Amino acid sequence: MKILVAIKQVAILDDEFEMLDDGRDVDHDFCDYEINEWDDYSLEEALLIKERSNSESEVVVLTVGPEQSEDELRKCLAKGADRGIRVWDDAIEGSDQVAIARIIACVVEKEAPDMVFLGVQASDHAFAQTGMTVAAMLGWPHAAVVSSLDYNSGDNHATLKRELEAGLEEEIAIDCPAVLSIQLGINEPRYASLRGIKQAAAKPVEDLSHTDLGLNDNDVGEAGSVSRIRKMYIPERGHAELIEGTSAEQAKRLAEIIKEFRGV
Amino acid sequence: MARDPKYDILFEPIKIGPKTLRNRFYQVPHCIGAGSDKPGFQAAHRSIKAEGGWGGINTEYCSIHPESDDTHRVSARIWDDGDIRNLSAMTEHIHKHGSLAGVEMWYGASHAPCMESRCTPRGPSQYASEFEMQTYCHEMDQDDINEVQQFYVEAAKRSRDAGFDIIYVYGGHSYLPLQFLSPYYNKRTDKYGGSIENRARFWVETLEKVKNAVGDDCAIATRFACDTLYGEDSIEIERDGLKFVELADPFIDLWDVNIGDIAEWGEDAGPSRFYQQGHQLTWQKFVKTVSKKPVLGVGRFTDPEKMTEVIRSGQLDIIGAARPSISDPFLPNKIDEGRVDDVRVCIGCNVCISRWEIGGPPFICTQNATAGEEYRRGWHPEKFPKAGSEDSILVVGAGPSGGECARVLMERGYTVHLVDQAEKIGGYVNDVATLPGLGEWSYHRDYRETQLEKLVKKNKNSQIALSAKPLTVDDCLEYGADKVVIATGSSWNTDGTNAATHDPIPGIDASLPTHVTPEQIFAGKKEIGKNVVILNYDPYYMAPSLAEKLAGDGHDVTVVSAAPFGHYMHFTLEAPNMHRRMHEMHVNILGDTAASRAEANRLEIYDVYGDGSVREYRGPGKLPRNENKTHRWIEFDTLVLVTGRHSNDELYRGLKARKDEWKDNGIKDVYVIGDAWAPKLIADATFEGHRLAREIEEKRAQYPKPYRREVATWGAPHMPGGEYEIEYQN
Ligand SMILES: Cc1cc2nc3c(=O)[nH]c(=O)nc-3n(C[C@H](O)[C@H](O)[C@H](O)COP(=O)(O)O)c2cc1C
Repeated sequence: MKILVAIKQVAILDDEFEMLDDGRDVDHDFCDYEINEWDDYSLEEALLIKERSNSESEVVVLTVGPEQSEDELRKCLAKGADRGIRVWDDAIEGSDQVAIARIIACVVEKEAPDMVFLGVQASDHAFAQTGMTVAAMLGWPHAAVVSSLDYNSGDNHATLKRELEAGLEEEIAIDCPAVLSIQLGINEPRYASLRGIKQAAAKPVEDLSHTDLGLNDNDVGEAGSVSRIRKMYIPERGHAELIEGTSAEQAKRLAEIIKEFRGV
Repeated sequence: MARDPKYDILFEPIKIGPKTLRNRFYQVPHCIGAGSDKPGFQAAHRSIKAEGGWGGINTEYCSIHPESDDTHRVSARIWDDGDIRNLSAMTEHIHKHGSLAGVEMWYGASHAPCMESRCTPRGPSQYASEFEMQTYCHEMDQDDINEVQQFYVEAAKRSRDAGFDIIYVYGGHSYLPLQFLSPYYNKRTDKYGGSIENRARFWVETLEKVKNAVGDDCAIATRFACDTLYGEDSIEIERDGLKFVELADPFIDLWDVNIGDIAEWGEDAGPSRFYQQGHQLTWQKFVKTVSKKPVLGVGRFTDPEKMTEVIRSGQLDIIGAARPSISDPFLPNKIDEGRVDDVRVCIGCNVCISRWEIGGPPFICTQNATAGEEYRRGWHPEKFPKAGSEDSILVVGAGPSGGECARVLMERGYTVHLVDQAEKIGGYVNDVATLPGLGEWSYHRDYRETQLEKLVKKNKNSQIALSAKPLTVDDCLEYGADKVVIATGSSWNTDGTNAATHDPIPGIDASLPTHVTPEQIFAGKKEIGKNVVILNYDPYYMAPSLAEKLAGDGHDVTVVSAAPFGHYMHFTLEAPNMHRRMHEMHVNILGDTAASRAEANRLEIYDVYGDGSVREYRGPGKLPRNENKTHRWIEFDTLVLVTGRHSNDELYRGLKARKDEWKDNGIKDVYVIGDAWAPKLIADATFEGHRLAREIEEKRAQYPKPYRREVATWGAPHMPGGEYEIEYQN
């Protein structure tokens, strides 16, 4: 049995930060990086299944990201994942969630796992689309926002619960292989031990480019995307003004403000 | 980062007499246990603050003459050339950092018991000290007055020669000058008694003489308790207080104003349990309305916002601090560098003071484990030796000891995994800080939490694992760490085991629904009945704090106290107001009372001294005193067990028992620190974590390395050129 867990290294903003000159992203000097919180849960779910299994089973972690995101793969390997795959090259820069999903789908086809887990969303860009886009591209059964999962290695279907609105839950059965997006709280993610960290250093991480996956330049980056970030900014807040003075003065100021608003 | 410009005012220099203070941060006089006899300790502790940005730094109270000898407590002394030599080390080291050094010239009258010098102190009138046991002074006549004033003048000259820039005439805390000023002590009918002008005369004359002697070279300061809090029986700020400021102002370059007396000096060094930052301002702020000189004041100032506001609003010119400077010697620099979140904020527990009150031992600080260790252990509060190996270290327990150990190890660059079951760093401080008045104790946790979160980001292999599954012996063995530190804390005894009998008390059992330990109260799972009995064998805050909490929640509280109730709180200056509070809350305290057995809803108690006073040998199996027949039962709905603590050392002992497996698992050593080693003060648990982290490369790092001792040395006479051999009078 093989489970593929796709993870993302997300940016955590400092209390104070600046934007890049082009106004399309935060200056990365003001960011720390860590694994997306949801991905801790999907990895844990995969590890639990592997630990329950009595046949040979493998947990493969995948990320699409630059070199520094290997840190996150290593952390997953330290917790017990077996090997890592990192896909990146210059052409992938600027990919939106659809282009990223295309890359992930290619890796899934190559690896042919029994299950694909992703987080419901990434905490930094918060699209919450990647998982289901991957499923659509593969044409696989899928379920989003999974809050409980009953699946064991070798099963050809899984039973799971999904969180709906207003506290409702839905229980469904799904055929495998399937793509699931995993919700926070589904389990209690583990910590890595020092032994795990030491062992992770020796576990394999395969670096791939888009061409290794048989993708063209047009499939990735801005060319392969359906959206493009135009601008990232903090909206200006409205402000209140306390009008002071005599009634006459107050009336005068009020009139001024009304004129300003009307643009007279 | 750069300093926030809103704090600029704190960094403006200010002239005080012939000297200039480089900023507004000023360490007021405070004891450390060094005096003049441990010059290295004195020089290092004070100069580290100069390095950390304090513009002015003082000695502790410094005796001017053997007639003012505070033994058993440790003051500084400027009696002779030997003292000049020793204190010069302090002034020299302070000057290297561009700060000013001050000395607090002290004459105590009856409050100085002269147990070493065997002198008889002189005072304004003859009175018995309300602070010191059985010490009376001799009432001064005019000759005495002249002579004692001359003591100040000679001591001032010696102080100048020792390199001091600021010279105090100390009249805070009810010492001699204030005794002349206050009708509580001064019953004279001559020109030194009666009217405020007369009562001020001794102090003003002394200031004038000192100024004439050294005023060209040194700034003259006075410490003035501007309100002694007795009402009209002594000094009130808006009456004699301000009049004195007017009379003395011309002879003074710097006012250092506080409130209170010596018997209850916790009104000045206010514990956080009762007083918050700036608690003296309502009195202090009047002084600037009269004085033309710079005014400084204390009030556990830790927050630059508050400091700035106090100066901007014209209440004070300079921020005085004792405890905040101990807790963080680098407080000014951290504000200057825009690192306010790195400040190690004083928690106001007053454990620093407890050591002076106990009389003698070097002081300690709960927050700053390096306080007092600068010289003898060579510990700098902000600098750490680089890691001595590539070892990775597992620290189990993120309480005071484990948290501090992990912090210092990470500062040194080790790979550290800090693991705790709780969801927060801080261990039992998280519980303690929920007790009435102890909220500020949580700064102990906050500092470590902030630092650990920053440090863990600097090493991608380090990790803070909170809400973690409890680690078993096997988990620790297999963890993959080169070294394991066990810091699993301690728990309150569930069976009544206590310091008096060293055994359980029959019938006591915290698994009963009506018997509860402090931890069970914190956990909040057991119901507490209306009628509560607290059984106390502990000398510190737990019983008084729980009494206050439970009485505040509407329970009727009786304390059966075998140990003196809240005894250690006398040393932390918390006792007087704690007792007032117990009184206000109708807590019934049965002192010198212990328990012999218990049932679900009643406790058998007895008077500790109820056995016979005559002691004689009566043969084997027979007690040497008459039987104690004071036993009686009292009833309760809930019995709270503050009887004693024990280490949570199962994990440590389990690992120790499998020492033969360490090597195969790659473990080089296992250590135990803090309460898990033996229950102790938070300050000492913090110290232990810190110490192990600094000494972890030592062969037997479990045990402290010897420290550098400062003792009088045979063959080296105290007086330069003096004799040291045994010599008798002929
Ligand atoms: C450990 C300790 C020792 C002290 N010793 C002295 C002393 O020798 N002379 C003195 O005038 N005040 C002494 N004080 C009082 C302080 O100078 C100061 O007035 C008081 O602590 C309030 O300031 P803070 O709130 O900044 O701590 C001492 C305070 C502490 C904490």
